[in-house]
Amino acid sequence: MIKTEKVLHLKSSRGRKVRVVREHYLRELVPCYSSLCQAECANEGKVLSADVTHYVVPDAGVTRDFMEILEFREIQGLVFTQTACQAVQHSRGRRQYNRLRSLLKDPRHDCVLFANEFQEYSYCPREKGEPQDKWQTRCVYQAAVWYHDHLAGLKPVVMITEDQGAVAEYSSLNCGVYVLSTLEYLRTFWPELQAAHELYGSIAQALRERGNEGTEREFAEHLPAEVLEAGIKSGRYTQGTLNVNKHRAQHEAFVRFDGSSNKNSELDSDVLVWGGKNRNRAVHGDMVAVELLPKGEWRGRTTALTEGQGEEKGEESQGQPMPTGRVVGILQRNWRDYVVTFPPREETQSQGRNSLRILATPWDQRIPKIRISTHQADTLQDHRVIVRLDSWDSTSLYPNGHSVRVLGRAGELETEVQTILIENCIHIAPFSEAQLREMPASSPERPWTVDPAEVVTRRDLRDTHLVFSIDPRGCEDVDDTLSVRSLPPGPQGPRLELGVHIADVTHFVKEGTLTDLEARARATTYYLADRRYDMLPAVLSADVCSLLGGVDRYAMSVMWDLDAQTLQVNRVWYGRTLIRSSYQLYYEQAQALLNGEEAELPPEERDHKLSHLIEALETLTQVARHLRAQRDQGGALELEGVEVRAQLDEDKNITALVPRQPLEVHETVAECMIYANHWVARKIQERFPQQALLRHHPPPRQEFFTQLQDSARALGFTIDTRSNKALADSLDQAVDPQDPLVNRLLRVMATQAMSNALYFSTGACPVDQYYHYGLALDRYTHFTSPIRRYADVIVHRLLTAAIAVEEGARPAKASASNKELEEMAQHINNKNRAAQHAQKVSMELFQCLYFRDKDPETAECCDAVIYAIRTNGVLVFIPQYGLKGALYLRNREGQVVRVSQDGRCVWEAGSLQRSLDHVSTTTASGTSTFRLFQHVTVRVSVQTSRCHADTLHLELVSNRAHRAPEPPDRTPRAAPPQGTRGRSQLVQEVVRQAEEALLQAEEKKGRVSELSKEEREFRQSKTPNLYSLLEEVREQALLDLTAFSTGLHTLSS
Amino acid sequence: MAGVELLSDQGYRLDGRKATELRKVQARMGVFAQADGSAYIEQGNTKALAVVYGPHEVRMSRSKTLHDRAVINCQYSMATFSTAERKRRPHGDRKSTEMSLHLKQTFEAAVLTNLYPRSQIDIYVKILQSDGGNYSACVNAATLAVIDAGIPMRDYVCACTAGFVDETPLADLCHAEESGGGTSLALALLPRGGHIALLQMDARLHQDHLETLMEAAMTACKGVSKVLDQVVRQHLQEVSALTGE
Repeated sequence: MIKTEKVLHLKSSRGRKVRVVREHYLRELVPCYSSLCQAECANEGKVLSADVTHYVVPDAGVTRDFMEILEFREIQGLVFTQTACQAVQHSRGRRQYNRLRSLLKDPRHDCVLFANEFQEYSYCPREKGEPQDKWQTRCVYQAAVWYHDHLAGLKPVVMITEDQGAVAEYSSLNCGVYVLSTLEYLRTFWPELQAAHELYGSIAQALRERGNEGTEREFAEHLPAEVLEAGIKSGRYTQGTLNVNKHRAQHEAFVRFDGSSNKNSELDSDVLVWGGKNRNRAVHGDMVAVELLPKGEWRGRTTALTEGQGEEKGEESQGQPMPTGRVVGILQRNWRDYVVTFPPREETQSQGRNSLRILATPWDQRIPKIRISTHQADTLQDHRVIVRLDSWDSTSLYPNGHSVRVLGRAGELETEVQTILIENCIHIAPFSEAQLREMPASSPERPWTVDPAEVVTRRDLRDTHLVFSIDPRGCEDVDDTLSVRSLPPGPQGPRLELGVHIADVTHFVKEGTLTDLEARARATTYYLADRRYDMLPAVLSADVCSLLGGVDRYAMSVMWDLDAQTLQVNRVWYGRTLIRSSYQLYYEQAQALLNGEEAELPPEERDHKLSHLIEALETLTQVARHLRAQRDQGGALELEGVEVRAQLDEDKNITALVPRQPLEVHETVAECMIYANHWVARKIQERFPQQALLRHHPPPRQEFFTQLQDSARALGFTIDTRSNKALADSLDQAVDPQDPLVNRLLRVMATQAMSNALYFSTGACPVDQYYHYGLALDRYTHFTSPIRRYADVIVHRLLTAAIAVEEGARPAKASASNKELEEMAQHINNKNRAAQHAQKVSMELFQCLYFRDKDPETAECCDAVIYAIRTNGVLVFIPQYGLKGALYLRNREGQVVRVSQDGRCVWEAGSLQRSLDHVSTTTASGTSTFRLFQHVTVRVSVQTSRCHADTLHLELVSNRAHRAPEPPDRTPRAAPPQGTRGRSQLVQEVVRQAEEALLQAEEKKGRVSELSKEEREFRQSKTPNLYSLLEEVREQALLDLTAFSTGLHTLSS
Repeated sequence: MAGVELLSDQGYRLDGRKATELRKVQARMGVFAQADGSAYIEQGNTKALAVVYGPHEVRMSRSKTLHDRAVINCQYSMATFSTAERKRRPHGDRKSTEMSLHLKQTFEAAVLTNLYPRSQIDIYVKILQSDGGNYSACVNAATLAVIDAGIPMRDYVCACTAGFVDETPLADLCHAEESGGGTSLALALLPRGGHIALLQMDARLHQDHLETLMEAAMTACKGVSKVLDQVVRQHLQEVSALTGE
């Protein structure tokens, strides 16, 4: 190694210039990571393939500005130089640099990093007075030349740069090393890659525009990073994530602290950032530093419901003044891809002087309008387009961006669904050839069979155990099966053996394979209202891994040896097994068998095993009841989520919105799965105390319960929220015999107060935080659905490793470290959140479509219950559709609703008075009052919006409960009054009620659970079992919380 | 600036070294004629000068005299020009007192003091340029100086620092790495017997990682000892050539 010195001029913490001398070591052997290497470099890991026409070396400027183009998979043979990477790191910050790093790590992308500055012959020291960019270009060129020589001229090397001077200077110096500009390069080598050309155009345009900005300041400058850091340390500034209030995006934003960074102890709530000037160019999601304003300037959050945008009232109703601050600097931009809508032509012209620059409105209301420079404004009118933000200078009112891809015309279903995916950062490409090649072969003619070598190593349960699965009807991805049998009596008495057998996905998806990487990136299967994006290729999820009836399959099993009476666990066995599921039941069928009814089983299944099956089901039900009772003792919560399912016909038109139905057998299966998850969690945590993936559910923050407590008090109930047990008990008591909805609504509110359940690595959390609040278990993880959740795959691997260690084998490879696992847990949490949000938004989309198809005049009138009071309206819940929404009692003209004698509503001038449990309107002709939990009749209509998602609009029709003719076969207590329905709805209703009547005997509580029938489009389940559905409901309801706490007192218009 | 990347994905450190590689060590013995022993060492950009006087009779206070062995007196100082910003460094400030004490302990363990009862050995070390690993440079320089003075030692005392980044131990930290957060462990080793003369660390580190970190530091020390050994041998050759042997 040769030592040289590098002289740097850095700024010291006080802002002074300091001369720093750093050593710099050079070596001869720096791996080139090319498969063509002649010098036998120590190339480990990813290498550049040999079958490309040339290698590309982008210079620092290109890497910095045009990385999106380099991200195209088609561009192969990319050599990033260290110089360029460092330039990205310094000028673009960590986020962009991490993107580059993940690009380099991605095995699907043919690119490598060459550490040119540590190579003896490619390093060139910076000369005195040489500008930095010149030096960087020279370095990159040197590296390109070295690369060419190193490979003995076998491959031409192309260096791309935006610096025309460099093109002129270097292009003729060496043969075999070409220097081109990016545009020229794309034209010469990728003339057919249209998307890249467009992207190039739009980025270049954005860059040019950035140069000639105006000079007048619109915003205060951000403080430099060192000052911010010092300020945060001293407690002068506070650091947090900016959350923009969706309903008052122009004005209201909150900064939420991330736990530890908050040194200022008096600040226990969020900080309000009021107005655009104070927000100072921060965008929703950015990590910012805020400075508190003096107490005299503090304001409260607005508590009124807003109707539409742009409405500015003179007097603003405000809550208690809360800490208010202004953004002084941005620590980390969290910009993602945004979907925007181009304005129609007339609007573009009115913008005046430069028609090339368009202000596009993002789909997400929390994002400010984005200025885009484009020539395609005419063709893209009313189209939804993906854009990326480039910069936001202090001289500009709006951020600059560039367009990336056109999604389609606004309002079309496909465009809207794509929009939802993009807005939730879900990127799904079809599985690639290489991934599918890794899959085991299986076709209808030659089905996949078990490997005899594998059979020897597994415990064979095919003949000894009666294994069966219970899933939604038509389900194809069966990932869990059950078995139960009695064992010879032990010393304490009779014994039972309960088994849970889970699809052995990790046998087929080995760690580090392409399929594994893809599954890891997706992290979960995405369910939208009308479609599904699988985590694993269909051959695995629907065939080879799926534990179908009557075929041999590999499984991961947990088997408990239980005492038949007390259900004490004597012994637990974990391991890989071979099973053959005897019955593939669906929920209704299983319930029918339990009830002793004739179930429609196919004739070939009506053999002698049927009696065993029924017996097993009965035992299982008992065991599950017992387990549930045990958890109830511990304080497990019964929560309520609202979920409806859109039923689609063949053309994807919605025929109905159907709430889900509960069955006891749902709970039985769920209970077994929870039990399995719990025991697996215990096992892996014991074995890997530092690096096991568990799932915890932190206790909720008490202040979130205030709404629930206030509402309950209005009805005379007290809710004790001190512990989960107390909460569960008091919720059970809060029942209004007249109105079953009351209890349901209270449970919904309790659910909203919960925090999210999250995955974590055991090394990253103290032991007392492992607790799962909702399930009342000290350890919990996800183990039972590896086909559709990546967390389960990790847990399977951990369990396998734990078993291997126990058997004395050294694990072949060290399992992921705590840090990696924690990163993984974060990633999965984020993806799950995105998946749930996408599902929710797509559901809303279909709800809107459903109501849009109705005639506005004869529109739906339906029953709604008031569950919260606001200053200018109330929030209502519509049980029939599971909808929640805001109902305005005062409109923009300041008129209020008055209810006349016959219950009709009229708008009149008047005033509105709000108190804790009711709101009353006073007009010249009288006063009308709306109380909490009062039933009212509302009309649902759709408010269309060009740039954003359509929303539902509620309108008060009458202050009495809506009465519809009771269907003949319906018992009066069964449900709240229903509205008049459309014909298709009516048909649906009758079918549903027939089912319901059948099951009414079992329907002991109004516990919600969902049931997914076959998904017609895919012939597969929407979600495989109730337990997971329950989890999802829980989380989905929790999702509302995010919207809920940012705009605690507001709701969507 | 939230943390520079101390260890790149390809395993390079800021200055181009790999995790286990040491900085370049250059040393000379017998740089001053007046003192009994002297040495100069460069470890990367850290440069140190050590001078040894003694053994001679105790000159401090009589009461410090030990009857069975020699007293070792160490003094550490930093030149005012040793850092990027010039700074006056008065004698006897806390940091240098602590460092002096560390050096004293280290050499009490290594020098065969019982050969010189009732006498004193003075070791003066000055950092001329500081770039991380000051303690280890001092120890290494002082070892050479003690050898130059002809005072018998059990073994070379070699010191080196090690840090811990991304679950990987880094040997011989430079200033940027030391100040970039994270742990830094200084270890002085008598390499032949594997005895540890001094071990110092004042950052948080998980117990599980201590073993690997010490392992790395010890390997680094052994590397240093090889270099020092070479320097001594070469010096001897030069000297013997001069004296006409």
